Amino acid sequence: MTQNYENLPKDSFERIARDTVQAEKISKPSVSFWQDAWRSLKKNKGAIVSLVLFGFIVIMALIGPILSPYEPNAQTITHANLPPKIPVVENLGIFNGEGKLGGKTVDLYEMKNVDQYYWFGTDGLGRDMFARVWKGTQVSLFIAFVAAAIDMVIGVIYGGISGYFGGRIDDVMQRIVEILTGIPNLVVVILFILIMDPGILAIIIALTITGWTGMSRVVRGQVLKYKNQEFVLAARTLGASDSRIIWKHLMPNVLGVIIINTMFTIPGAIFFEAFLSFIGLGLQAPDASLGTLINDGYKLIQYQPHILLFPAVVLSLIMIAFNLIGDGLRDALDPKMKD
Amino acid sequence: MKNSKILWLFGLVLVLSAFLAACGGGDDTDTGTETTETEGTEGNGGEPDSVQELNLIQSAEIPTMDVSMAEDAVAFEILNNVNEGLFRLNEENIAEPALAEGEPEVSEDGLTYTFKLRDANWSDGTPITANDFVFAWQRAIDPDTGSPYGPYMMAGTIKNATEVSEGSMEVSELGITAEDDNTLVVELERPTPYFMSLMAFGTFYPLNEEFVTEQGGDYASNSETILYNGPFTLTNWDGTGLTWTMEKNAEYWDAETVQLDAVNVDVVKETSTAVNLYQSGEKDRVGLSGEFALQYAEDPEVLREQEPVLFYLKFNQERDGEETAMANENIRKALATGFNKQSLVDVVLANGSLPANYLVPTEFAFNEAGEDFREINGDMLGFNADEAKTYWEQGLEEIGETEVTLELLGGDTELAGKMDAYLKDQLETNLEGLTVNLKAVPFGVRLELDEAQDYDIQNSGWGPDFQDPMTFLDLFVTGSSHNLMSYSNEEFDTLIEQAKGELAQDAEGRWEAMAQAEKLLIEEDAAIAPIYQRGIMSLQKPYVNNIVKHPFGGDYSYKWAYISGKE
Amino acid sequence: MARYIGKRLIYMFITLALIATFTFFLMKVLPGSPIASADKLSPEQRAVVEARYGLDQPLPVQYFNYMFGLLQGDLGISINQFKGADVTDVILSRMGPSAQIGFQGMVLGTFLGILFGMVAALRQNTWVDYTSTIVAIIGISIPSFVFASLLQYWFGLKWDLFPVALWKDGFMSSVLPSIALAMFPLATAARFIRTEMIEVLGSDYITLAKAKGASGSEIAFKHAFRNALIPLVTVLGPMAVSILTGSLVVEQIFAIPGIGEQFVKSIMVNDFSIIMGTTMFFSVFLIAIILIVDILYGVIDPRIRLSGGKN
Repeated sequence: MTQNYENLPKDSFERIARDTVQAEKISKPSVSFWQDAWRSLKKNKGAIVSLVLFGFIVIMALIGPILSPYEPNAQTITHANLPPKIPVVENLGIFNGEGKLGGKTVDLYEMKNVDQYYWFGTDGLGRDMFARVWKGTQVSLFIAFVAAAIDMVIGVIYGGISGYFGGRIDDVMQRIVEILTGIPNLVVVILFILIMDPGILAIIIALTITGWTGMSRVVRGQVLKYKNQEFVLAARTLGASDSRIIWKHLMPNVLGVIIINTMFTIPGAIFFEAFLSFIGLGLQAPDASLGTLINDGYKLIQYQPHILLFPAVVLSLIMIAFNLIGDGLRDALDPKMKD
Repeated sequence: MKNSKILWLFGLVLVLSAFLAACGGGDDTDTGTETTETEGTEGNGGEPDSVQELNLIQSAEIPTMDVSMAEDAVAFEILNNVNEGLFRLNEENIAEPALAEGEPEVSEDGLTYTFKLRDANWSDGTPITANDFVFAWQRAIDPDTGSPYGPYMMAGTIKNATEVSEGSMEVSELGITAEDDNTLVVELERPTPYFMSLMAFGTFYPLNEEFVTEQGGDYASNSETILYNGPFTLTNWDGTGLTWTMEKNAEYWDAETVQLDAVNVDVVKETSTAVNLYQSGEKDRVGLSGEFALQYAEDPEVLREQEPVLFYLKFNQERDGEETAMANENIRKALATGFNKQSLVDVVLANGSLPANYLVPTEFAFNEAGEDFREINGDMLGFNADEAKTYWEQGLEEIGETEVTLELLGGDTELAGKMDAYLKDQLETNLEGLTVNLKAVPFGVRLELDEAQDYDIQNSGWGPDFQDPMTFLDLFVTGSSHNLMSYSNEEFDTLIEQAKGELAQDAEGRWEAMAQAEKLLIEEDAAIAPIYQRGIMSLQKPYVNNIVKHPFGGDYSYKWAYISGKE
Repeated sequence: MARYIGKRLIYMFITLALIATFTFFLMKVLPGSPIASADKLSPEQRAVVEARYGLDQPLPVQYFNYMFGLLQGDLGISINQFKGADVTDVILSRMGPSAQIGFQGMVLGTFLGILFGMVAALRQNTWVDYTSTIVAIIGISIPSFVFASLLQYWFGLKWDLFPVALWKDGFMSSVLPSIALAMFPLATAARFIRTEMIEVLGSDYITLAKAKGASGSEIAFKHAFRNALIPLVTVLGPMAVSILTGSLVVEQIFAIPGIGEQFVKSIMVNDFSIIMGTTMFFSVFLIAIILIVDILYGVIDPRIRLSGGKN
């Protein structure tokens, strides 16, 4: 407050001419919503690294089973329970095929006369864990993505209709959702898996049967918020049809929330599948998912930790990646967080 | 700055991995310091300690303590320790008189048994009378009771049991009468050579009529509403809990033999938890299943026991009214010889199970000279990949197919899943053109599919209910409630009928007939394909002595067990 | 408010009736017989055994009997898990341990979660923040059965700090299971509080409070924390669900005589009456939590009450 502006040197300032063209110019380049979101997401290193990591896991899930010279379900019973052995890395003293037998550390590969390398070791039936882990990742991701996609479709349609039309329709539809959320989803999932033939399909259906209610609530809330705003009113005045208003005006605004919600549904589904494996309602043998692999592995934790280690690390990485991507997207898509 | 967040994150993942991996390092607990016997530690046989308490783990809760309603392993095991029948299996697994005073008098035709009862009391001090048996047996067969094992054990053996169980006769017509307080007369439907071993079975235990009637619906709802007459009494059981204690029964007629003061039992369903409890010293014995069997195979405290429980593949010959590929004998033989049982037992099960090329288990049934029934027939139709291939090609030609797809129905336990995955791989590798689809379902569902004959191959198992090969053989007669695979061979049926009927009094001829029947079933018809005879592996502290394993009825007896050298 | 609660209670009742109906018919299409030795009985004998549990009556009669029983709080009789026992008694006898570890886990998790979240928000973008974020994420990245068995192995067996398992040493027995259950509430609360606090800390009134010279701790607790806490109530529902799900796993691993452990077993042995009874119990629990959350939310947040009043 007490600064003396008079003391500032005159040449610090430059007089510019008034220019009507310049006055109307927006110096920031015009960016669409998505470009903007992508820009702020790029600044979030956690989300970007997670994205790369997740990309890597997806690629491995697709090509991993092919990279391995063994089929995920092929058994070589004489090669059962081998620890991991990876070329090059083995010289560092880890993953060198040594394991415990009767309290002593021995090279199990040598003992069993195995020349091949099993990068992630083998399980109790002599199946290659590398192929199984990636095949399992593939299955788990498939279950999670399909379940999330179904949740999204049903949730968006249901929530959208309920929120947009409001009134009696909304009332009835919300009562139905209220009832559905009152049923513990754990119980529903278990009961559905019991009456259906167990397998991927059963797990997906069971997961989605009540899973979509969360999404529908969020979408309804957003639609309610936007549908009475001026731009919608303007569109309506201009004679836009309901479907045009929904798709062209409301959806783009709701999309951010939908994406974020989906980002958190996916890890939830993967986790639930693992839980089902624990109580014995997971995928059927001999197929593997991350859940069944971890469930098989945690019992062997003291003697063959590698059977748990690899699927557990992959699962943890997927969970971490999704959570960080989700966080990043939320920050990027939320206008309040904009800098 | 954000970069460091990522570094932290992956650093933590690495720590986590190390945490998991580190568990591999810390396993040399305190095993290997005690004894170094290779074939398990059957106790050290020393002087008993002053504290006689045994701490055990059970894998399931007690569904019921009502002898008439019992139908599962846990209930029968506890009943065997807190109650007693006319006979009891001794340390050598031979049925010897318990509540019966000496051997019964048997009539010439082998149909009437007269038992004298010894002086013995219930845990509340009232004497056990012949009427207690009459009441218990009538209760077990009474349709109003809804007992599952009563009709199963008695029908066809005890006079009029079938009719009573179906409601066409009064319960009083059942072939059991109390001549006086100490004399019990039992009439049979047909001569039954193994009748004494039946008398050791839970369903035939006595019940105190006055007490049971007085308790009404509350009878056996917790440990206070039961009367005991065995070596121990049950305490601290609230009816739905996961814990109970068996205390020494002072009123037991043979109480001086019993050395344990208490057996503390907790239900632990996770094997990993059970093993941890054993290692922490809280429990004295733990059963090892699946993966754990392999991990502890070299442990000096490992105890291996053989069980007369046999697992086999049932080949369904008719599904949905149509003949399946397995109606063809060569196809069945190919399947039966097409998988390696030795590897299965060594690598997949790894719990001391034996590969089985037979139906009647080893060390289960013996003739009067003490010879194992197994010795007559030996091994039949073992694994032979070349023979299997020949059978397979022949079979395919006969049914005019080049490819066959079969469904293998099995249990949903982890071990069952692993085993079925192994069988699938073996069969598909050894038999070209075969596709096996696995179907794993809970036990209850499997029974239902079995009954509807809605499966191709079923991985099934059977444990004996009495000590005679018949408990295994008569499962497969035409139309039996266990056959359910449309297997029918007149010759087989005749042999079984003879062994049950006219040969019942002729031990040798009967033995011969049963052996022939087994050969027919396995070797000639390959109606089923035996897989393995179950072994049990457990860890047991070296100070535990003399727990007796029984082949049927209750699995274990603690009557003779004692602790020595724990202090 | 009373009218609102009354209305909600009516909905709750309808929901429960529908759930009961749904479960009942689901049980009827469930494959498998609840009678363990079904394969040992002749059809006549089996019919006799089934009649004992009323399974022989026509479906509508069974349904009516079941619903009528429910009204009187009668959940039926266990068929094979605890043969002949009253399902209500079974659930009541198993409730204590479940409630204890569930409550402890929830309280511990929420408390630590709030602490972590707050510290993280106040020290945003420092190592404190990163560590607490990572602990929170790890908490929901490891399946509970793996986490529980690691706890058991290290804290129970190796370091001998707590009982390995079983329900014998009172509070000590409940420590490890509670920690295992606390992980999800901890993670949820920590992330929630962090986000909310950062938002609140950036808002105008905090700037005002700062300008007026309020101390750091005063701002943190009096202003930021209180406002961040309100939305936490909304995640109580998902937390309760996680406790339910977790109890199935944790009770099994620590051999605790709770409802979750018993529910898993009843599914395995096909005991219809117990499955139905436990489902109803879980539903009541969950619906009650949702109702409480809604009411609490109305009580805590004045804005909600206002708009509720207008309607």
